[in-house]
Amino acid sequence: MQATLFEPLRWQEQPSRVAVYNGSEERNVYFQITAPKDLGTICQGRPVEELPRILSILGPAHHIASAVVLDRLFNAEPPPMAINMRQALLQTLVFTHHLRKLFFFLTSLEDPLADRQTVGKSFGQPLFSRHLFDEIMQCLSLAQEAATILGGRADHPLTAVAGGVSRYVKPAVYDRLAEISDSCVSFAIRLTEFLGSDLFENPEVLESLPAVSFEPMPALSMNDAGSIVLHDRTGQESDRFTSDDVFDKIELFREPWTYEPFACLKGKGRNVFDANDSDGLYFVGPLAGLNARLELSTPYAEEERRRFVDTLGPPPHFTLIAAYRSLLVELVRASERMTGLFNPEKLTGPSTRTVPQELQQQQATGAVESPQGLIVHRYRVDDRGMVEEADILDAASQNNALLCRTARRAVEESMNRNRSQDETKRNIEASLLPF
Amino acid sequence: MNRFEPKIIAFLCNWCSYVAADAAGVARLTQLPNVRVIRVNCSGMVDPGYVVKAFANGADGVLIGGCHPGDCHYISGNIKTLRRSFLLKSLLKEVGVEDGRFRLEWIAASEGPRYAKVVNEMVEEIRNLGPYVPLSRRPAKGAA
Amino acid sequence: MPKKKLAVYTANGCRVCENSILDVHFQVSPFTPWADVGFWPYLTGSQWQDLDGDHRFDLCLFAGAVRTVDDRSAALRLREKSRLMLAVGACSAFGGMPGLLNLNGAADKADLVVPEKSAEPALPRTESRVSALSDIVAVDYVVPGCPPPKNLLWAAIQALICPGECTSRISYSASRLPDPISQSVASGILPPRGSTFAGEKAVCASCSRVKEEKKFTSVLRPYEIDPDPGRCLLEQGILCQGVATREGCGGLCTAAGAPCRGCFGKAEAVFDPGAKMISAISSTFDSTEAAEIKTMSQGFVDLAGTLYRYTMPAQCVLLAGPAEDEIHAGDVV
Repeated sequence: MQATLFEPLRWQEQPSRVAVYNGSEERNVYFQITAPKDLGTICQGRPVEELPRILSILGPAHHIASAVVLDRLFNAEPPPMAINMRQALLQTLVFTHHLRKLFFFLTSLEDPLADRQTVGKSFGQPLFSRHLFDEIMQCLSLAQEAATILGGRADHPLTAVAGGVSRYVKPAVYDRLAEISDSCVSFAIRLTEFLGSDLFENPEVLESLPAVSFEPMPALSMNDAGSIVLHDRTGQESDRFTSDDVFDKIELFREPWTYEPFACLKGKGRNVFDANDSDGLYFVGPLAGLNARLELSTPYAEEERRRFVDTLGPPPHFTLIAAYRSLLVELVRASERMTGLFNPEKLTGPSTRTVPQELQQQQATGAVESPQGLIVHRYRVDDRGMVEEADILDAASQNNALLCRTARRAVEESMNRNRSQDETKRNIEASLLPF
Repeated sequence: MNRFEPKIIAFLCNWCSYVAADAAGVARLTQLPNVRVIRVNCSGMVDPGYVVKAFANGADGVLIGGCHPGDCHYISGNIKTLRRSFLLKSLLKEVGVEDGRFRLEWIAASEGPRYAKVVNEMVEEIRNLGPYVPLSRRPAKGAA
Repeated sequence: MPKKKLAVYTANGCRVCENSILDVHFQVSPFTPWADVGFWPYLTGSQWQDLDGDHRFDLCLFAGAVRTVDDRSAALRLREKSRLMLAVGACSAFGGMPGLLNLNGAADKADLVVPEKSAEPALPRTESRVSALSDIVAVDYVVPGCPPPKNLLWAAIQALICPGECTSRISYSASRLPDPISQSVASGILPPRGSTFAGEKAVCASCSRVKEEKKFTSVLRPYEIDPDPGRCLLEQGILCQGVATREGCGGLCTAAGAPCRGCFGKAEAVFDPGAKMISAISSTFDSTEAAEIKTMSQGFVDLAGTLYRYTMPAQCVLLAGPAEDEIHAGDVV
């Protein structure tokens, strides 16, 4: 058996590689996460109030998910101002995350670090002005500034605590926040015009993207009201439950060839490699949200969603280009929601938090729609509030099956088109990026 | 097989415990020879870092000897030691130093016999515990 | 002056450090006029083959802790190829949050299932403990923090990459950086080996909260109190590690109402951050009664996991240092 390794993979959050085995009868492609996270173990024995800060190493949205669990453990209902501030932070995080992914996508077409003096010599006619990189990063830094104002730090936030947030937003920055959200909206709209109309419909770009589509899978997402909705592979709603029931419906399982567990619906097929026996495997993320076919509440995002439907047809979609476009739709949506929330009226109130007195529950669950998709935390604590068990349903586990399949499709497609090793690697990376 | 001889570092206060240790020697009381004494001006100057460093450098036990509360030559140095001792004990336990390897004892200048008794007890206790092995050097459970 | 060559890599950690390096390039001051990035898998898609050959890097920015045998061999290979090694972020500098596994038994969790079928790929084995970069190879410089603040990361890039005549270097004002670092940024001469790009004193020196006499009679868990915004957190009975932690962040967390957890590692003069904190906390107990002090002490939970939150593998004196049994020469490529 001859194995080909594509390692390390570009843009992936975790150390990962793709292993291709060319057997005599079949070709097997494995998407491997090559290091364990073991966050459940790290959390054991820690005081539960420290978990929002510890778990933010998984991604800043986990900070908020963890604080939601704390609210429930202590029965401390956060004041509206704190809920708004957390939501504003979350939308800012969605914005930065998607913007960075789109930046990465553009860097696959042009080298972002090429010395400006040599540009034009080594590349042919550029697809876009390199100034776009600067503009994206400028907007990203504005959004990071907003995240710092709201969260204390942009990447590993601090402010969400049990029962609310740890501090007010200072009046001195209200104007700044409004300024930031305005420029984020206008930049997001510009980006949809440029990327959506020009780039994603440019044959040269479409040629560089592997024409990957994956087998239809159920999609899980959280609606605005906070219930978790499952859509089957035809896009019909098939189940609806609250975050408390998540771990009754969903379980994790391991495969020996990857450190990342897979999430699947209990009692259903879970064969990663067999589309006929995999009705329990599902995916989450921006595309899962759009496949729910819901109208979006904000005008520009709804417009962009309609454009998405007009161009690609009615959802559900299971293609790479749809995944990239869903990032754009969510980018606009996040920027508009930021505008709505970056409002002094929403960010002020008589108190920042309900100070919890003592532990009310031994176990609680909390869910948040993170930039990468739905995340759910469940903690079990002893009577002193020390963590006995922490279950973390990360977007990476829920999309693991999807990534395995996309990687496989990307490899097959590259081989059918007789691509070189380097091109195959690039195809794999571009297919894994938007999830 | 040779009997395990623990190494114990004793930080003894110049005004009480060190004098007691001296007196115990002069009185020819039986003491096990496992203790290395470091004379300090006051038990209050024994920073938790000293204790940690002693263990890190191969001590099997650490004894801090100070004056009885109220008798401190510097008024309240020994109270400072007392305040630290509980947290230090819990920290040491959490990072793998068993209970009994660290002791804080009040030994007045006149209590030579008590000093000898404390030392002998501690040596026996640590002998039972065995040599101190840092958590990071203990063989892993189960895994290869 | 020939352009320098850079390598950037993350072993076991999140990607925030790498994103910060990218952000410094775009948001603060571009470094590509002075240096070419020769190896950066995350951003440019470099592969391991790109390390073959006899070219060398002037500087390697290494982020993330060492958890698997692959991480170890990456650290060894990059060290061999690089003239200077910069540890970026708490994971790389001290082991970081993954280092807490050393307390909870990293080896016990090595539940790796060996593939039964030969057609299934194997996984790199996890090591029996999580290590900081300095446990594996010699580290020349350190930028601590989780993630490192952009100004310190920039100072490091300025000092190590940009030549003396670079305009941004000349305009740099090194506010609270130690003298050797700010001199290096200004002059173009490398700072002394082993320098840390951060302050020398403790976080308290730059924390904006008002410190009075620290005395308290009851201990609080951070969830139990909405702390007074202007007063020292430790005085209010919350465990805050500013006293033992190196400054450089400007009191970021304490300003946001969250206690310091020591992501910059121990301050220069501290021997062991945990022991230092024990000393600092207990000096604030307002009691002389053994029983009372004992009760107060019991209010502090999970001391090791909190006091060594980011520093367990490298700075917890009693847990530091590689265990003899874990150097498997055969595993290192």
